[in-house]
Amino acid sequence: MKTRLLTFCFRNLFRRKVRTVLCIIGVALATTFVVAVGAATMRYATVIKEMNVLFNGQIMVVDKNAIVIQAIPMGGSLLPKEFTGKIQNISGVEEAAPILFITPIGIGEIIQPVPVNFTIGIPIEHWHLILDSIPLKGNVGHYPTNESSNEIVIGASLADQYNWTVGKQVTMLSRELEIAGILDTKMALLNRCIIMPLQLAYKIYPTYTDSVNIITVKPVQGYPLQNLTDAIESKLPSLKALTEDERYDMIQPILAQIEVWNIGIQTVVFIMSLILVMTVTIMSVSERRRDFATLDAMGAPLSYVFRVVILESSLIGILGGALGIALGSLAALILASLYTNIPLAQFFPTFYEIIPPFYMLETFIAIVAVCCIGGIIPAINATRMRIAEALRAEY
Amino acid sequence: MKIRTVDLTKAYHLGPSEIIAVNRVSFEINEPNFIAIIGPSGSGKSTLLNLIGLNDAPTSGKIFIDNADAALLSSSKRRKIRLLRMGFVFQTFNLLPTLNALENVELPMALAGKPKKEQRVKAKKLLENVSLGSRLFHRPKELSIGEMQRVAIARALANNPEIIIADEPTGELDSKTAKEIIALLYEVNRKEKTAIIVATHDEKIVDAADKIYTIQDGRLRLQDNAIFSQK
Repeated sequence: MKTRLLTFCFRNLFRRKVRTVLCIIGVALATTFVVAVGAATMRYATVIKEMNVLFNGQIMVVDKNAIVIQAIPMGGSLLPKEFTGKIQNISGVEEAAPILFITPIGIGEIIQPVPVNFTIGIPIEHWHLILDSIPLKGNVGHYPTNESSNEIVIGASLADQYNWTVGKQVTMLSRELEIAGILDTKMALLNRCIIMPLQLAYKIYPTYTDSVNIITVKPVQGYPLQNLTDAIESKLPSLKALTEDERYDMIQPILAQIEVWNIGIQTVVFIMSLILVMTVTIMSVSERRRDFATLDAMGAPLSYVFRVVILESSLIGILGGALGIALGSLAALILASLYTNIPLAQFFPTFYEIIPPFYMLETFIAIVAVCCIGGIIPAINATRMRIAEALRAEY
Repeated sequence: MKIRTVDLTKAYHLGPSEIIAVNRVSFEINEPNFIAIIGPSGSGKSTLLNLIGLNDAPTSGKIFIDNADAALLSSSKRRKIRLLRMGFVFQTFNLLPTLNALENVELPMALAGKPKKEQRVKAKKLLENVSLGSRLFHRPKELSIGEMQRVAIARALANNPEIIIADEPTGELDSKTAKEIIALLYEVNRKEKTAIIVATHDEKIVDAADKIYTIQDGRLRLQDNAIFSQK
């Protein structure tokens, strides 16, 4: 009975091929939009959240006027590198490290909405602060051991894009560098990073010499963070010190705003799909009044008539949703490629990181549910039909 | 199945005026007779059949099905009666266009919850009985109108109904096909002991009927020469 019902509904739908196909395309486009926009914004949010992980449990010290998006300082002045020593002497500081964070580097030379890559310069004795337990890909290579070496480690995404391998010589702003290792991590930020000794960074970017834009501070275990930030800010009034929570609080309104916009866009798109499916199903029911009246006269249970209509509208959702998920995933990958200047093919193997399977499933369920809801009013109309009148009517 | 109506009335309101389609009709069907209801267009034939078939509710009066007041039956009980004890044949056949002949005949059995295999066997047999054994998988649009009406009759017979209600079953057919359909209905009546009630103005059906009622302005009368014995 269930298989027959499904076949019956399929045939009913495709009795009006053009209308049904147009409706499915409409639902598919709506789903495409939701998936593409949703995946892109989610990706940004994830990257932003990931940045905090880099400096997990640490205090970031930046210029007072800098805006900090998780771990990336934007604007504000550079800090003299010597401030690190001053901070190191403050009670409660276990380790302070100067970091030069530069974006973008020379490759591409185009300002992107999402930076193509980042350069992090950090004295090698402090690398453990950000790279802690991140292994090197295939256990090949090593972290640089000499501050004045020309060795760098890079993210796997950059390595894949430019076919860089361990031991390869690359030129960055006219300076020959050697790739000592490739990071094996899923973090989007580190995947696009070039990490080098601070002294080497100064050689590549001489304008930054003896300056940094972040000083990261690892507090003594158990030391009250607020006391430490107060102490840093009172000793160096031109700086601000931010705990992980404070950084998170700064970014939270932006993330919330992204979320609200996302939900708003999705709601509008889903409502439009609902109206589309409802209109098409109402038309379909009204054209088939005689069929429904016949079923009614034959004694078909109301639930059967109801199920026929609901299943037909749900099938539009299933077909449109599936098509939309496929198109939306492709669109999300294309958007990611356009925004980051990373070749599209490079996203394919890990496309599920751009469009998480759970998000696809969630969107699919949502669009099917929307179409199902869109069928409720037409289904009620079909069950409330007065048989005698419907049978008498000419079409 | 015993059907009895008492002062059955159905009125429609068209703006300020009231049209009485069926006017205080009282009659009884308690044997598997072949009953013809004749009358001009708009005389109330179809309305009466819809009332008897529980497809419509009367404005006043009562319908009793096996002595039970139909008005007191729940909607699902009325549906069950229509599904299991009545069969319907319409002037315009009303086959579901997306189902083939076999599926159209299987549908009432499927709705009644009969096993798939039984549905298939019986639907085939019914279609063979109406000489459509070679047209099982044809959709309605691929059938002639006579074939469509035969499918409709096979469908009406699917759940072994006690009564078939046919509203102008030959109205759309040419005289040769109409003759075949009448013969088919007559055969069903005689062989299956299924009561047939037909609204028509086709004289050939009148000739085949056991009882003839005339309806005029909603009033039903049994014709004087009601019982025919020439068949």
